[in-house]
Parts: sequence; C-alpha cells; structure tokens
Amino acid sequence: MKSCIKFISFTLLFLSMFVSKAWAEKVTVITPYLAQPGTQMYVEGFKNEASKKGWDLNIIDTKGDVAEVISRIEDAVNQKVDGIVINVDPSQIAAGLEVAAAANIPVVGMDSGADPLLVTNVTSNGYAMAAETSVYVANRIEGKGNVVMFVFDAFPPVQIRGVIADAVFGNFPDINVMDRITPDVQDGGIADSRAKMEALLAANPEAGSIAAVWAAWDQPAIGAMQAIEAAGRSNEGIVIVGIDANPQARDAISQGGNFEASIAQDFVGIGSATANAIDRAMSGEEIKSKVIYVPTVLITSANVGD
Amino acid sequence: MKMLNLIKKYGTLIGFFGIIIFFTINLPSTFLTAKNFINISQQISMLAVVAFTMTVVMVMNDFDLSVGSMASLAGIVAAVLFSMGYPIWIGILAALFVGIIGGLFNGFLVSIIGILPFVATLGTLTMFSGFAFLISGGRTIFGRDIPSEFSSFARSGIEISSLDLKIPFLSILALLLLFIVWFILEQTTYGRRLYAIGGNAEASYLAGIKVKQLRLSAFALTGVGAAIAGLMYSSRVASSNPTQGSGLMLEAIAAVFLGMTMSEEGEPRVLYTLLGVLILGVLDNGLTQMNVDSYIREVLVGFIVILAVAFSSITKKRN
Repeated sequence: MKSCIKFISFTLLFLSMFVSKAWAEKVTVITPYLAQPGTQMYVEGFKNEASKKGWDLNIIDTKGDVAEVISRIEDAVNQKVDGIVINVDPSQIAAGLEVAAAANIPVVGMDSGADPLLVTNVTSNGYAMAAETSVYVANRIEGKGNVVMFVFDAFPPVQIRGVIADAVFGNFPDINVMDRITPDVQDGGIADSRAKMEALLAANPEAGSIAAVWAAWDQPAIGAMQAIEAAGRSNEGIVIVGIDANPQARDAISQGGNFEASIAQDFVGIGSATANAIDRAMSGEEIKSKVIYVPTVLITSANVGD
Repeated sequence: MKMLNLIKKYGTLIGFFGIIIFFTINLPSTFLTAKNFINISQQISMLAVVAFTMTVVMVMNDFDLSVGSMASLAGIVAAVLFSMGYPIWIGILAALFVGIIGGLFNGFLVSIIGILPFVATLGTLTMFSGFAFLISGGRTIFGRDIPSEFSSFARSGIEISSLDLKIPFLSILALLLLFIVWFILEQTTYGRRLYAIGGNAEASYLAGIKVKQLRLSAFALTGVGAAIAGLMYSSRVASSNPTQGSGLMLEAIAAVFLGMTMSEEGEPRVLYTLLGVLILGVLDNGLTQMNVDSYIREVLVGFIVILAVAFSSITKKRN
C-alpha cells in the first residue's frame, strides 16, 4: 500500500512538472521604436532566445506613442502574462510600471534606462566603451603626443565617455590633451567638428604636432578626418577614433585611413541578454544589479568587414 | 424590409456586441471583467475627449484636422511653464487658453475668411506642430520638470473599496466632457442651430441663424477639447513631447464616422461617437490580449471602419 501511494505521488509530481513545462510562458515586448534599426536588432536577438525557450511571445509596436505603451502594459497585466519587456524611457511610463508591480509581473528594460520599478535594465557600458577607445589611442601613439578630444558634456550618456577618456589620458605623463572641444551638434555634429579641427590644424602647422583625435561619438571623428584630408595631412599618421561604429564610420575604417577604430554595441546581444534576464526574473530569481551590461566590440580594419 | 431596417439602424451596435462576444469567448477569464473595462475607459479617455469635441464641428459638416497638433502644443505649453517654475494651475490655464485661441483661429479661417475646413485646418495642423517644436526645442520635457502632482492625476482615481476597484480620474474627466458636449448639442438652442447649419447652411443663414459666429465658437470648443486631451496625455506619460498627439486626429474622425453609421439621418451624435471610440478601444485591448500582431491590428481597425461606413451607406441607398 505504501509503495502504491509512493508510486502515485511520484507520478503526480512528474505529471505536474510536465504540465507546468508544457504551459508556455507568456512574454510581451512593448516598444514605440520598432521602426528603428537598433530596436529591430534588439528584438531579433530577443526573438531567437524566446523561440529557444518556447515562449508565447507578443511583440507590440506603438509607433512612437508613449501613452499607448502604458495602455498595452495594462492589457498585458490584465492578460496575466508572465513577464514584460520595455524599450522606452521608464520615467515616462511609470503609470504602467506601477500596474505591473501591483500584479507582481516582472518588467525588464531593453536599453531603456534604469528605474526602481524595473527588475533590471540591459544595455551597453558607456564607461567601458570610452575606456577601450581611449586606451586604443594611448597605445597607438605609444603613450606620448598631443591629443584632441571631442566631447559633449550636456548629454549624460556622452558625458560619461569624456570622463573616462580624461582619466586614461591623464594617466600617461607624456600625453597632452591639447584641446577639449564641444562641437555644435545642430547640424548633426560633422560640419562644426570639421571647422573646429581645421582651425586647430591651421594653428599647429608642423607635422606630428597632433598625434590623435579622440571623439566621444562618430560624427566629430568623421568631421576631424575630413579636415585632416582637406588640409593634405592624412600622411602624418594622426590616429582618429570614434564611438558607436555607425555605417559612415565603418566605411571610413574599412578605407584604412586615419579613422582607425570605433566601438560597436551588440544590439542582438542586448536582445538575447534581455531574454535571459526576464527568464531569471520569471523563475523568481532576485536580480541584484539594476543594470546588466552586454560587452561591446572594438571595430578596426581587422574586423570591420565581419 | 423590416429586417433591413433593423440592421441599418442597429448594424454597428450589433457589430459592437459581436466584437464583445468574440473576445469574451476567446479570453474567458480576462476580457469581460470590471477591471478590464475600467482599464479600457482610461486608455480611450484622451481619444474620447478629442472625438467628443470633434463631433461639435462635424455636426456642421466641418472638420478639424489640427486637433492632434493642438494636443501636442497644449501639452508642451504646460510643460514648458512647469519647467520654468510656474504653478500647475497656470500651466493648465495657459494650455487651455492656447486651445481656445487656436480653435478660434481655425474658426476665423473657415467661417470669416471662407477657406475649406480641410485646407484651413491642414495649414494650422502644420503651424501648431511647428510651434510645439519651436517652444520645446524639439525635446521631450520630462523628469523633474513635470510636477508629480500633475502626473499623479492620471494615476489616481476614486477607490471603491467594497469592489476593490478604482475609477480613474481620466475616465471621469472624459465622462464629464461627454455630458457637457451632449448637453450643448442636444439640450440647447445653440446645439440645435449647429445641427441646422449641418443640414443646410444657406437655409440656416436665411432663417436668421448667425452662421459665422456659431462656426467660430464651435471650432473654439474643438480646440479646447484637443488642449484638454493633450494635458491628459502629458499627465499620463509624465512628460510632453512635440508629437505626442499626432495619432489622435485620424482615430477621432474614425470614431465619429463609426458613430454616424448609427444615427438615422447619418448625423454625428456624441453618444454614438462614444460607441465609435469604445469600438476602437475594445479592439485594441482585445486584440492585444489575444497576441494579435500590432500591424494586423491596425489593418483590421481600418477595415472595420470602412466596413461599417460602407454597410450603412449601402443600406441607406437602398432605402
């Protein structure tokens, strides 16, 4: 009799495990920005991971409408989904996040910005990106020479890049930051950076007087490159680096000229890491860090074609 | 013939209940609940306010295409004033004032200058949108610039603890505006005159109705409605963006059209407009819950609007 009860209870346990596995977990991804290339890559990475996990996935594009993100969060909560992923500034959708929190449904940000109402936010590490490009410059010029920096301290995600580059260059006694330029970005950042760089080149005519240009994003690096080419000083070996690895920067890097390196965020990787984070949250695991960083890739002529 | 009459009169209503039944069967535990319908009422509140006040001009066979940009502009005006440290009531009053002025300007172009409403409000659509970008510098105004008392309005409501429900203030505000517009259009001479203009502007003029003044004031009402919706939107997202209201205009017109299929004379009636807004809101909510692709949802909503209007115009022709 005892063994019979044991058998039945084991069978039930086994069956219950099976049934709970067979019930696909419902996950909803809500973004106003699906039309943007970066977001499409996040979603692609997320989808791949979700299909491996066998989730019942719903991807909602609110086409730029932030209030609709709140409405769709409310619908998802009402539908009793197991997890929600958002890709929009969390401070603007607090009304929806509060509803999800009240229903104990975990919400993870996919490059959305950190917020107490989010389990965590998966993104790239701006500090690390700046560290990698500034160290690249320092090593290429063998720790000595004049460096021009292009920064933009008014915009926090770019400001942190400048802080790191300051620290790296400051740690090399023979590197001198000759100018720290904040370009006018109203025209996209290329034209004014070019003008500022042309002025610097004119003020420092002798070859070798400028060793490198470090830019906190790609546009000023492109502007600086154009200025150097227009001044006929491409053969002086001035090293230029940017951040973001946009198509124009990749094109310049592949030419093998002064623009030597930039750094690319792993958008697809952010998508799959987000899927893993929401998976952990749905299984009840407490995620301690409010931000999860996905490694970035330094793009040089060696891997730009990959 | 009787059957046809019945369908003609109640076709859209039957369709609406069809949609409700469909979702109730497919989403047995989550769709037909008080909580979900309170949810929907909050989600459609901004669209509802725009659609209700849009009904006022559509009663006269006019249009206002600028309501979406006006909603954006009003939100931006309030947010900019908040960010400059002005108290909340000043921001709200200024936004409503901008709504009235913008509406009067539309009315001036249409009734005094005599430009077609479609062209006049297309022009002001661009103008208002331009002003919204100009004042905000193209930025989204959010965070500490938006007072928490302002954004908490959209998150609060009247708690009914015995039922464990909360009726959101946004829904209550929309209901209040529904009542006001219903009262103006259906219970006052002013409203009846607007319907008379819609029936025949020339005859109304000859009968001594001050057509120009009435059209001017009706556009002002629509402008204020758009401004209120813009403030509601800003409160809901605790921020203001120069393009935030752009989705409202087409949906509001669609809602009025859906509602018009229910009235015997094909006139806009604000209670029917409410039904139009509800159809759109229920479709969005139900299809999201059924995991229907958001793009398919959009195709479906457009198709249903065409279907309803086509159906009603066919049955009317036959009659």
